[in-house]
Parts: sequence; structure tokens; C-alpha cells
Amino acid sequence: MNKTFAVIRREFVARVHTRSFLISTLLVPVFFVAIMVIPAMMMTGTSRSMRVAIVDGTTSDVGARIESRMALEKLGDSVSVPRYTVTRVSAAERVDDVRDSIVALTGLGKKREIESFDGVLVVRDDALATGELEYYGTNVGSPEAMGRLENVLRQVVTGTRFEQSGIEPAVVARAMERVNVSTHKVTEGKATGESGGASFIIAYAMGFILYFGVFMYGQQTMTSVVEEKTSRIMEVLASSLTPFQMLLGKVIGVGVTGLLQMGIWGTTIFLVTSQRERLASLVGVSPDAMQQMPIPTMPVDLLVVFLIYFALGFLLYGALFAAIGSMCNSVKETQQYASGVMMLIVFGFFGVFAMINDPTGGIGMVMSYVPFFSPFVMPVRWSLASVPLHELALSIGAMIAALIAVSWLAGRIYRTGILMYGKKPSLGELFRWVRAG
Amino acid sequence: MSHPAVHVDHVTKRFSGHTAVSDLSMEVPAGGIFGLLGPNGAGKSTTIRMIMDIIEPDEGTVQLFGTPGTGRELSDRVGYLPEERGLYKEMKVFDHLVFLAEAKGIRRAEGKKRSLAWLDRLGIADWAQKKVEDLSKGMQQKVQFAGALLHDPELLILDEPFSGLDPVNSQVLKDVVVDLARNGRTVLFSTHIMEQAERMCDRIVIIARGQKVVDGTMADVKREAGGRHIALAFSHDKEKALAVLADPALVARTDDYGASAEVEMAESADPQRLLALLVSEGVGLSRFEIVEPSLQSIFIAKVGDAQVAHRSEAKERAAS
Repeated sequence: MNKTFAVIRREFVARVHTRSFLISTLLVPVFFVAIMVIPAMMMTGTSRSMRVAIVDGTTSDVGARIESRMALEKLGDSVSVPRYTVTRVSAAERVDDVRDSIVALTGLGKKREIESFDGVLVVRDDALATGELEYYGTNVGSPEAMGRLENVLRQVVTGTRFEQSGIEPAVVARAMERVNVSTHKVTEGKATGESGGASFIIAYAMGFILYFGVFMYGQQTMTSVVEEKTSRIMEVLASSLTPFQMLLGKVIGVGVTGLLQMGIWGTTIFLVTSQRERLASLVGVSPDAMQQMPIPTMPVDLLVVFLIYFALGFLLYGALFAAIGSMCNSVKETQQYASGVMMLIVFGFFGVFAMINDPTGGIGMVMSYVPFFSPFVMPVRWSLASVPLHELALSIGAMIAALIAVSWLAGRIYRTGILMYGKKPSLGELFRWVRAG
Repeated sequence: MSHPAVHVDHVTKRFSGHTAVSDLSMEVPAGGIFGLLGPNGAGKSTTIRMIMDIIEPDEGTVQLFGTPGTGRELSDRVGYLPEERGLYKEMKVFDHLVFLAEAKGIRRAEGKKRSLAWLDRLGIADWAQKKVEDLSKGMQQKVQFAGALLHDPELLILDEPFSGLDPVNSQVLKDVVVDLARNGRTVLFSTHIMEQAERMCDRIVIIARGQKVVDGTMADVKREAGGRHIALAFSHDKEKALAVLADPALVARTDDYGASAEVEMAESADPQRLLALLVSEGVGLSRFEIVEPSLQSIFIAKVGDAQVAHRSEAKERAAS
């Protein structure tokens, strides 16, 4: 046991001390903050008011209504700063000419002395009938800005239509009030307090973390076994340690390193999402834009299930990858064998999507019992649907049985493989390795 | 009577068609220095790996300390320096040694103490905090040598320990090995450098083409080879000696070193007659001495015989 611990410690220290570990550990949080903040920055563009010109070609008062309604929109949470600074130009018959002349003044920024417009809204006479409006602007690429504008315009157009049909303005105003649907996840007859969006994000994130973790650290395990073979340290190790101690130490050592790295990443992601408003004000972005993602909260039971499956799944795949590494003499050689294992992982990852799609469906249900797929599928199933405890126990039991079988097999292959140099073993030879010893 | 440290019993190992070790038996008694000698490719490393249980023999058995345990099971009592040196390149020397100690089941604190002591003794204490990859090959070899000794093994197995070392470092290693043997440890080492083996070993086995050709204590081996060897050293007119030495009735074999030569007398030939002939030919001699054969000459004679025998066997097989 002490010997295995020595191997774990060595693997851990050797890995944590490398520059690549430091860089990847730091880069991912930076990357994550960047993908949170940069789109938000781009979507809000600026937090100043937009100067919008309305080219009014109507004979009715729709243009004026739009103008006054837009003037009511405020920026962000403030009550005083208007979102739009509106200038209405009556164009009568010459809508296109007026539009073109104003578009020429749009999007110049502060380069010129004259103040330019950020957008031009064209309201033709038939706008009310067709519901067609045109907008020319610098910010048309921002779904958030366009969504807001459309919302305002829809309210005006729909409201005016209602009024023209003789419905009281007060009734219209009441009818136009916002409808909000908040989603709440239910597990075993109890609301969990999570929103639908949050539980989707958790499910997806868990699947991805498992996929990514097993994939990346499994590969690392394999590569480092090959490196030990090529650096010929294997013979020294083999004269001191049992193959099983070497295998277990290596897989756990790499796994612990992975867990540490993911822990650092997870903590950053949690901090960034929970503190995003502070972060937003720090970089000068409107908090609205960062509000897109719901804050995922992970219930303790889910965390426990997730960690159990992460550990079991990693050990299972880690042992497989280590066995493959022991059979090969170069990293290049491993690819052929590794692709088979990768197929299993990818297939398991697809199971996550099947599960998200239909949490109580047959495919996901079956996959949550199959040892090579259950690490990916079961935590997602647990988060999305209620799983009876005995089904969880059955799935974990199957997983442990598979783990024992795979470690036994991997240990046998490892025992012979680590000291074999030369050509790759055939299937028949592999079988003999397993049988021998 | 104590059990032999290593007992190899009729061991055979084949690799894809060719036989690396063929029906080899040998016994390494507990205590002392044992040399496993042979030319390149004779099967020395294969034998050692079978003793270490790193590869399994196809036939025969290996027993350590008279117990049924295998080399891997008894690894805490055995220190091993493989022929293919290997260390974790990115680790610091000191950390690496501590890890090797822990891998042998020594507690961390004790492992640190011993690592420091060995680094000091081998004169590489200044390098303790350097990465292994920053060390020269010779120094890495010393580190690995220390790694094999950290757990104070009863049996030390060294595969070509002196290859690639300069004379100063060879001397350091030799002193350690001799010291261990004096303290009752058993050292088994392989080499093809005969001078080294001749000075150090109590017992030797010479193998050629996977078969044992010589086995015994150094004294016995030399006695068996006979006292009919003559060491010659020339002061002038050496070329005049060549004709005399070429006479098969007189001389069985000459090992010519230029300024000196080692001569094996032919069966029933008289050394006095050789001396008389050389003098009468006018050869200037600075040395004429009846000596024990050197291990080098025994080695060449025996291994040469084995190779000749093998070649003629092969010829017979080809003819039939």
C-alpha cells in the first residue's frame, strides 16, 4: 500500500510540476472568463444611448407612437438614462431618399464633428397593415439589441391594431403586459429549486466534464506508460513494484492530478458565474448581457453521484488506456488501439444527449446500466429524472464488477507488456499474456 | 550450510526462433563477488533478467535464497542495476532516489537519509537538486547505482555496471562493490571486460552462445587452464621471434600484444626449449616468465572454442 502511495505521489508531483500543467490550469479559467465577458461586451456594444432616426412615411400617428414608446425604454437597471435618443423625420412620399441621406450619416462614430446616428428605422405607410418595418444600424448583429427593439416595435404595432379595432387603450395596455414563465425542476415529487435552464446546463456540463476528463487524462496515462517504456525505467520499476501497484499508482496519480485541475476550473467557473454582476461592472459591461446563463446550483446528492461515477469511470478507462500504453512502443502506435476505447467514450458521451433529449427514454435508461457508458449517462439521468436508489445501486454494482474485471485484465497485459519491446502483440499473443502468470 | 543466493537450474529461453540461453545451470553462493562473463550477445542480460523474474524462462527454474519466491516477490532483498539504464528525466536526483527507496518499501524519512548518504559517498551530493536530464551519462549511472543500493539488499545484481564509466568513477563503483562483499553481501555482475572481472571476482561463469563454457572459482579456473603459459616481453628484434612462435609443435597459441605476448605451450613442449630457441635467434627479451593464464586468454580460448564448435556444428547440419 505504501509503495502504491509512493507511485501516486510521484505521478502527482511530476505532473503538477510541469509547465504545461500550470499553463493549462490557468488558461482554462482565463478562457472561460473571456467567453463569458467578450460576447457580453460585443452584445451590449456600448452602454450609452443609441441615437436612432425614425424615417416616418406614414399618414397615421404610428411613427409618433413608436417615437414616444421608444423614448420610454431605459438603459439597464437605471431609471433615468434613456436607451434610445430618437429623432423623427417626416418623409411623406420620399421615404427612400430621406432614408438614404440619413443612412449616410449613420455609424460614423465620433470621427466627424457632426453627431452621427447609430440606427435608422424606416416606417412606411403600410407598416401597420403588413407589419413590415426596416432597420439599418451598426448593432444589427447583436441578437440582444435587436430583440429589444423588435419587442418595443411589436408592442406599438399590435397595440395600435387593437385600438383601431375599437378596443379600449386601457384594455390593450393590460393585454400587452409581459408574460413570464419560470421553470422549476421536480425530483421525486419535490421542487428542487433549480430552473429548467440550470438543470440542462448542469446535465450538459457534467457529461462534458466526464467526457473531457476521461479522454484527456486517460490519454495522459497511456502516454506516460509509453514514455516509461521508452525511457527504460520500466525495468527498475518492475524489479521493485508489482505490476498492479504500478498500474494502480499510475492511474490514481493521473486521476488525482486531473481532479485537482478540474477542481480549480470548477471553482473558477462557479466564482465567475456567481459573481458575474461584480465582474460585469469590473469590465464595464451591462450586467444584463451576462445574465443570459442561469446560475447552476449542484445539489449535494448529485455531486456525490457525479463524483462516484467520475472516479469509477476514470479508473475503468484509465486502466484500459494504461494497458494499451503497455502494449506499444511509441505514442504513434497507441492510436490504433486507443481509437477503439475512444469510440466507447464518444458513444457514452452521445448517450448524454439522448438522455438530455428524453430523460426517461429507453436508450438512456439502458445505457445507464452498461459499465462503459454509465459514468457519462447516469449522473445526467440522476440530474434530470428521478432514479430509484436500487437502480442506482445496480448501475454502480455493474460498474464495480466491470472495474474489477478490467483491472484484472489490464494488470495481466501490463505485467507482460511493460517489458516487451519490438513488434506490437497480436490478439492471440494478448490472450496468452492474460493467461500467463 | 547457508542457501546459495541464486540457483539457476537448467534454464532455457528462446526468442522468436533463436535460443538466447540454452540449458544453463549455475549457483551463486551467498557472499562474495560473482562474475557472469561472456561476449556480446552471449545471453548474460537474458540470464540476469530471468533471475530478476523480469522475463520467464521457457524451461527450468530460478531460485533465490533457497526460497520459492520469485525475483519480483523478493525484490526488497535484491538490488538491481539493469543493462538499459532508465530514470525519470524530469525528476530531481534527490527526489528520484527517495522515490526508488520508497518503491522498495523504505519509509520516506529513512529514504531521504539514505539518499543523502549515498549521494555523498558517490561524490554527487552537489547534484542532488539538479534534474536527472542535466546530468552526464556517467553521473546518471551513479545515481541509478545508488538507487539499487538504497534498501541495503542482500543480493546485488549489476548488469554491465562499469560500461561507459571513466577510470575514476569505475574505481568508486569498484570500491563500493568490494566493500559490500566484505560485509557479507552477494554481488553478481556481468561484464565483458576481463581485467575488471579478474581482479574482483571470487567465482566466475563464462557463457557463450547461451551455453556455459567455464564455471568455478577464479583459482580453479586458472589452475585448470594450466600453468603452461608464458608471458613474454620484447626489448628488440621481436620479428625474429615470430618464426619460433609459429611452430605448432612448440606453441599452441599466441596472444600477441606487440611489445609483449602471452604464449600457451603446446602439449608436452618444454618451455626451456622455447627460451633457448628465442635466445639463439637473437630476440631481445626483457621478460620470460611461466605464469598462470590471464582471464582474458582463458576467455578467448574458451569462447573461441565454443564458437568454432558452433560453426562446425552448423556446417555439419548444413551438410546433412
